[in-house]
Amino acid sequence: MKDRLLLLGYAIAVVAATSVHNPWWLAGGLLVVAALAGRQAPTIGWRALRAVLFFNLVISIGYAAGALFGQAVSLDYLILVNTRVYLLIFLTFSLASKIDILRALSFSRNLSYLVTLVLSQIIPFRRLFEDLRLAAESRRLRRLRLRERYLQSAAAAVHLFDRAEHDAREIALAMRSRGFFQPEATDNAPGD
Amino acid sequence: MHIPDGFLSPQTYLPAYALAAGGWAYATRELRRRVDETLLPRLAVLTALAFVLMTVMLPLPGGTSVHASGIGILAVVFGPWLTFAVVSLVLLLQALVLGAGGVTVLPVNALAMGLGGSVAACLGYRLLAPRWERAGLFAAGWLAAVVPAALVAVVLGLQPAIAHTSDGQPLFFPFGLSVTLPAVLIPHAILGLGEGLLTVLVVSFLRRR
Repeated sequence: MKDRLLLLGYAIAVVAATSVHNPWWLAGGLLVVAALAGRQAPTIGWRALRAVLFFNLVISIGYAAGALFGQAVSLDYLILVNTRVYLLIFLTFSLASKIDILRALSFSRNLSYLVTLVLSQIIPFRRLFEDLRLAAESRRLRRLRLRERYLQSAAAAVHLFDRAEHDAREIALAMRSRGFFQPEATDNAPGD
Repeated sequence: MHIPDGFLSPQTYLPAYALAAGGWAYATRELRRRVDETLLPRLAVLTALAFVLMTVMLPLPGGTSVHASGIGILAVVFGPWLTFAVVSLVLLLQALVLGAGGVTVLPVNALAMGLGGSVAACLGYRLLAPRWERAGLFAAGWLAAVVPAALVAVVLGLQPAIAHTSDGQPLFFPFGLSVTLPAVLIPHAILGLGEGLLTVLVVSFLRRR
């Protein structure tokens, strides 16, 4: 229940943050979220800063550069948009650190099963992909040409497809053997 | 490409959620009609696959590389609705688990990348593949990169007109279409060449076996 409430609170906070156009209110909201994050606030703040820095710098510099071409440029806008983006990313990182995504999505049985399966599959897939990359790296004597790098990426992708097909069949069998596909168990759609 | 959180107005992302919800409901119904009880594990594994495919590096001349999207490959192999569902799930997990992307931009990114990209890829493929299979695959990969970029550029470029102060200052994304279209489309038209090439190679390898 706590996780669902957190998700709902997050959704409301996000809509509020994008509906308020006063930077002072947004800065106040940021202070509240930072206070709620407690001791994790500096870590989350740093992560959020790194996440927004590049894109926001590009946008802000591009916008400010408009002044060179005689366009009306507002410092208020720069403060507003940067505060809002930082607040939203801070909120998202705070949520990610506090929420148990599987519990938050437990209102739909199939959706939470789906997310469980996805999360359990991502790690082996990433590991496999990294293994393939390292294996290719360890076998090369010279820098690969562009064509060879494409072939290598394509071969890795094909291997991942094969693995995906195999894993999907295995999981389906495992789920069937545990009675997941009984008629009463499949009344919810995967995305409901 | 992803739009980061905070640059889209509620006037954009709330209707986009309504539109995407319709798409997700239709995709779910369509998939349940076509696929048997393996739908759930298949969807899960393909989502994980798409998650990892998005980390496959697209080699660029000079030894550098960027991330592929894999949408062209998924669309040609599995069709647009499965791709839409899978890409939406990837974006949801990226937003909630990794804190990447974000929930305000989720529906626009899902509609642009998952639906726009995959439908364009399938159309391009179906149009060309009967006569030129490889050209069809290349077009699928290129369109899967360029069409989402164009949609995202349009949505971003409309923000100053949709949400602004009484004196005309923007409240969200500051640049209009005259800036966003070339700034987003030109690099993606070039990166799309790599995506197209990767689509040709992967799908050809898959079909050869």
